[in-house]
Amino acid sequence: MKQFFLRISENEIYQRLFKNPFTYVGGAVMLAMLNTLTLAFTGNGWGVTGAFGYWGAWTLKLVGIDVSTWASFASESAQKTLAGGFLADGVSVRNLGIILGALLATLLASQFKFKKIKSVRQVVAAVIGGLLMGYGARLAGGCNVGALFSATASLSVSGWVFAACLLVGGYIGSKLLVKFFM
Amino acid sequence: MSEKGVSKRKAKVSQIPYAIVLIVALGAFINFLYSKNPNIAVALIFGLGFGYILQRSRFCFTAAFRDLWLTGSTSLTRAVILAIALATVGFTVIKFKAFLAGAEVIPGNAHSIGAIGIPLILGGIMFGIGMVIAGGCASGTLMRVGEGFTMQMISLVFFVAGSLWGVHDMTFWSKLNVGVPRIFLPDTFGWAGALLIQALLLLGTYLAAIWWQKKKMGSTE
Amino acid sequence: MKEYRLDCLGEACPIPLIKAEKKMETMAVSDVLIVMIDHSCAMKNVPEWARKQGHNVDIEEVGDGEWEVIIEKVK
Repeated sequence: MKQFFLRISENEIYQRLFKNPFTYVGGAVMLAMLNTLTLAFTGNGWGVTGAFGYWGAWTLKLVGIDVSTWASFASESAQKTLAGGFLADGVSVRNLGIILGALLATLLASQFKFKKIKSVRQVVAAVIGGLLMGYGARLAGGCNVGALFSATASLSVSGWVFAACLLVGGYIGSKLLVKFFM
Repeated sequence: MSEKGVSKRKAKVSQIPYAIVLIVALGAFINFLYSKNPNIAVALIFGLGFGYILQRSRFCFTAAFRDLWLTGSTSLTRAVILAIALATVGFTVIKFKAFLAGAEVIPGNAHSIGAIGIPLILGGIMFGIGMVIAGGCASGTLMRVGEGFTMQMISLVFFVAGSLWGVHDMTFWSKLNVGVPRIFLPDTFGWAGALLIQALLLLGTYLAAIWWQKKKMGSTE
Repeated sequence: MKEYRLDCLGEACPIPLIKAEKKMETMAVSDVLIVMIDHSCAMKNVPEWARKQGHNVDIEEVGDGEWEVIIEKVK
């Protein structure tokens, strides 16, 4: 049985279908199609980070801290999402799907490996980077997906302004990375 | 030359059986979600599609804004521009159809037409720095969690924490978004004018990306 | 010609790329650099960068989710 699956894994046609990376251009075409379908089906372009604030709120609720009274959560839709929970929120479930879809792709390619933390520096980078992204995405109203990809495709000037800011941030981040996180 | 470089070769194990278990579990999960709310089941399927494509193509929005500074490569920058160009076509068809049908609200515009003010600029720069340091943006972090990266799992936890912090502070920041423009190009320039401006922006950035890589790397590949 | 090994296991993008770039600068023509990685994106961007620079590149999958990118410096 083990040999059988190993032979499938090493079959050339299988590798072409499930293992060898697509080109970036291929990825771009497929992502554009899927984002268009997302707009058609849900009435909104693809977005990711909008759900993360709720993830934080739900986590705090588990330990008994209620943040639903915050002014920023006052809107009717925010209250509904908070009350509905994770499995009732399409964006949250879609994000879970991204994690599981990537896991499936790696398993089909027999390339899954649990990658442990290698140094303290990686932890520091993850903490600082994560906080900056989380806070920044709330300020900008989205991430590379919502505030850039879906916004520019929506003919919104905000998407292009966000892109220019990302270039600046990318420059500063690269300098910091080479200096402190190598 | 490929022979002599390889010193230790580990015994390979096919992970296909695990993949099959995951597919069966996902099928059951989708079925469960469908029974509660079909839209949520569709959302999971879309997510699986995005995650699968991101992983297989190694598509990385972070690298699109990072590698041009580090190595001068703009292949991902150009891929992002291409993705935007193609999505523009699809999005515009949907939006224009709604416009022709006399829709009061154009689909997606409530979320996608952002305020152009200090929060956007500050947030964009913060996000740009964060994604380079953490080795992945939002979609990239989720994808790498699925690939088994502990570092991105930590990053995701703090991404969520930062988001909640941001939500809390938005009562302050949203004051700076009062009175600033939110520009949907067709409102200002008409649909034809908007598409022309968009096409020029896409073409201009694409050519700039080719020029940049040629200057930095001497290659236009 | 000499052979160098660069252990980038557990390193996230773009660190394998920067390390390879730095190491290549110190090497002589026809030297070989072997970059060990387990980051699925680096197995695409490291070879791509090296090819753009005009070097000879080969990728070996040495284990599940582990690769060796073999770069021969040609100029």
